[in-house]
Amino acid sequence: MSRAWLAVFAAVILLPLAVRHAIASEIWIFAIFGLGLNLLLGYTGLLSFGQSTFFGSAGYVSGYLLKHYGINVFAALGIGVLVGAVSAALVGYLCVQRSGLYFIMLTFALNQMFYFIAYQWTTVTGGEDGMPGIGRPVLLGVDFRQPLAYYIFVALLFLVSLWVMKRIVESPLGKILQAIRENEVRAQAVGYDGARLKLLAFVIGGAFSGLAGVLYAMLFGIVPLEAIGFVFSGNVVFATLIGGSGSLYGPIVGSFVFIWLSESVSVVWARWPLLLGVAFVIVVIFFRGGCVEAWARFWSWRERRRMATRLAS
Amino acid sequence: MALLRTENVTKAFGALTAVNGVSLEVEAGSLHSIIGPNGAGKTTLFNLFTGQLTPTSGRIVFDGRDITGTPSHRVAHLGIARSFQRTNVFPALSLLDNVWIAAFARRGSWRGFAWRRADRYPEVTERALAALRDVGLQDRANQLAREISHGEQRQLELAIALAAAPRLLLLDEPAAGLSPDETQRMVALVRGLKGRYTIVLIEHKMDIIMGVSDRVSVMHFGSLIAEGTPAEIQRNADVQRAYLGGVVVE
Amino acid sequence: MLYALMGLGLSLITGILNIPNFAHGALFAVGAYFLASTLHVVGNFWLALVLAPVGVAVLGLAIEYAGIRPLYRAGHDYQLLFTFGLSLILSEGIIVVWGPIGFSQLPPPILRGGLDLGFIFYPKYRLFVMVMAGLLVLATWLFLEKTRYGAIMRAGIEDKEMVSLLGIDIHRLFTAAFALGAYLAGIAGALTAPIRGLSPGMGVDMLGIAFVVVALGGLGNLLGAIAAGLLIGVAQSIVAFYWTEASVAVIFAVMAAVLLVRPQGLFGIR
Repeated sequence: MSRAWLAVFAAVILLPLAVRHAIASEIWIFAIFGLGLNLLLGYTGLLSFGQSTFFGSAGYVSGYLLKHYGINVFAALGIGVLVGAVSAALVGYLCVQRSGLYFIMLTFALNQMFYFIAYQWTTVTGGEDGMPGIGRPVLLGVDFRQPLAYYIFVALLFLVSLWVMKRIVESPLGKILQAIRENEVRAQAVGYDGARLKLLAFVIGGAFSGLAGVLYAMLFGIVPLEAIGFVFSGNVVFATLIGGSGSLYGPIVGSFVFIWLSESVSVVWARWPLLLGVAFVIVVIFFRGGCVEAWARFWSWRERRRMATRLAS
Repeated sequence: MALLRTENVTKAFGALTAVNGVSLEVEAGSLHSIIGPNGAGKTTLFNLFTGQLTPTSGRIVFDGRDITGTPSHRVAHLGIARSFQRTNVFPALSLLDNVWIAAFARRGSWRGFAWRRADRYPEVTERALAALRDVGLQDRANQLAREISHGEQRQLELAIALAAAPRLLLLDEPAAGLSPDETQRMVALVRGLKGRYTIVLIEHKMDIIMGVSDRVSVMHFGSLIAEGTPAEIQRNADVQRAYLGGVVVE
Repeated sequence: MLYALMGLGLSLITGILNIPNFAHGALFAVGAYFLASTLHVVGNFWLALVLAPVGVAVLGLAIEYAGIRPLYRAGHDYQLLFTFGLSLILSEGIIVVWGPIGFSQLPPPILRGGLDLGFIFYPKYRLFVMVMAGLLVLATWLFLEKTRYGAIMRAGIEDKEMVSLLGIDIHRLFTAAFALGAYLAGIAGALTAPIRGLSPGMGVDMLGIAFVVVALGGLGNLLGAIAAGLLIGVAQSIVAFYWTEASVAVIFAVMAAVLLVRPQGLFGIR
């Protein structure tokens, strides 16, 4: 068991003691969302600006089924993962052939398409008012309406997600995706079908987003229209970058910082997205590379100083 | 028997015909060089072999199978590996990972490739290390590709091609941009590979070719103008005119 | 025509600066609000229509100079984050200054009412906007095609290295391109204000459309952006006539359909 895993376990246990259970749950949900994006952004080098498409779609579909048919929690999660993966396959199919700015713009434009569908299809999605009344059914005698019970459930799913993602990035696929990021022409020349593997990464990322979307819907009992909006897509990019897209654990750190930041500024001022925008700009200017890298830099700086003092004495 | 055969292959980019009616046969187990001045269409020919480009007309047959227009990732699976003239590695990955990826691509089955840990494919790692050993980079396996020197990157370039355990190895100016010393080492390396692989070597420096080749084809303005053993080519007046611009070398 | 204007500005920015400008929609919204405020102060629509977009261009100038310039080497992810943050700041700033509730803006008196075109009764102001936007597109086009500075900008899309080798300050070119793009977004916003009214969310809606126009037209392909803008506008009005709710979604559907058939965009080369 590595140090990183110990830290994650400690955080899972300590977090509900420090903040409200709902916020603690939100942090892990957002972290799952970020893990999915980071497979694209960090490992494959694909900057998707439309991750909320999958997050929101899954939330809507599973939310609808939970609300009107009272389906089993695991069924809801499974369906959410599936919806996330399928919608990502559709979007990805259109996008993976393109690169750079085109790719970013397309993921964003398709995100907007899903957003407007949700916005207009009021009979199902509730449009601007969102889709309220999503329950958390009892599972095996555990009442998930209890915030702590739901927190534990979310945290366990997060740990499973992290483990799954760790397996994926440590598998040959993880290496291959990095190779595609580094040099797609060469990856193609040694025998990898770049477009298909990027699509695969997209689908996996979508599945993670879908899982997060359903958990989010169940946490707040509602799928707000924003859950499929582009600001949400931007937030997860921000969280991943702020944590550091170069590392598996980056999005987790980023999710902490982001949720903490948005929760604390939203209390201060109703116009908190303005402050969030300022935060984005500050991060871009001062903290490029993200927390994980800043942390590593800090350590190497300390090491060097310690060496220097030892040499001096 | 010819492992690779081209029939009248032509590639035109608009008005420019980069490769013009090239018919070529590469014998299995031989080292066949293609020489010609810069811009003669040698690299374009490689791009046609490996599916990066599709010929305007003509056929390419590998091991009795028509591969004209097959996409490059599929050509790789048939057992054609290439090195690039301009260093083309994975900069942020370790040397081992650079070759590991090439070795894994040629694995018969990709079962569990998204789940099983990469270090649980010992035979792939073994082959990757062997490829690094072949080019003399085994001691630097854990360094990042962007951290090594240009000469070493050229060796890595070759190792990536070798790791794919190719049946046909296409080398595009492996000595490009190397110092005389490094060039010597690279020539020795290529000579060491001779016999183990069927090799097609592109080069524009005559002296490198002559010592190692079994057959030499000369390309000029997109066409083949001569073919023969190194000795025959050296005596060929046409080649001297085309290639050396009329200056006759002793 | 307005879409063409937006698309042209964005295409210019993405093409020359090679950055994803997610603040383009916000600049559009700012243009509309600037118009409302200047009109309030100076009391003359025409003067306000001249001043407001200039204000946006100046804002664009400042943004490029202070924010985007240090980011050219930073990679798309950070550029995106920056322009996205900027877009949040601008649209939230609008709410802070002008309030969260939208309001409508009347066109100037002479352009009120409609014009009987014989077969259809068309609002005068819409007609004016169409003509105006058409003229602006034409003017921009002429500027890019016929003037020396325009030629430099087009060269900047094709080959930046070449431009800087010619001894042209590439940074000034970038700033100018961004300001011009911002100006086009601003005037599009200003022209829109009397048609659709003002609301803080107007920028985001427009942003998506602008991206579609650029994606369809081809990155940095200015003629393509104009054509795609027209195409999208026409498609939308036709659909809006039959099925109002779907009129926005159809824009994206058109894009998805086109990309399925022609992945490089309608006029894209790459």
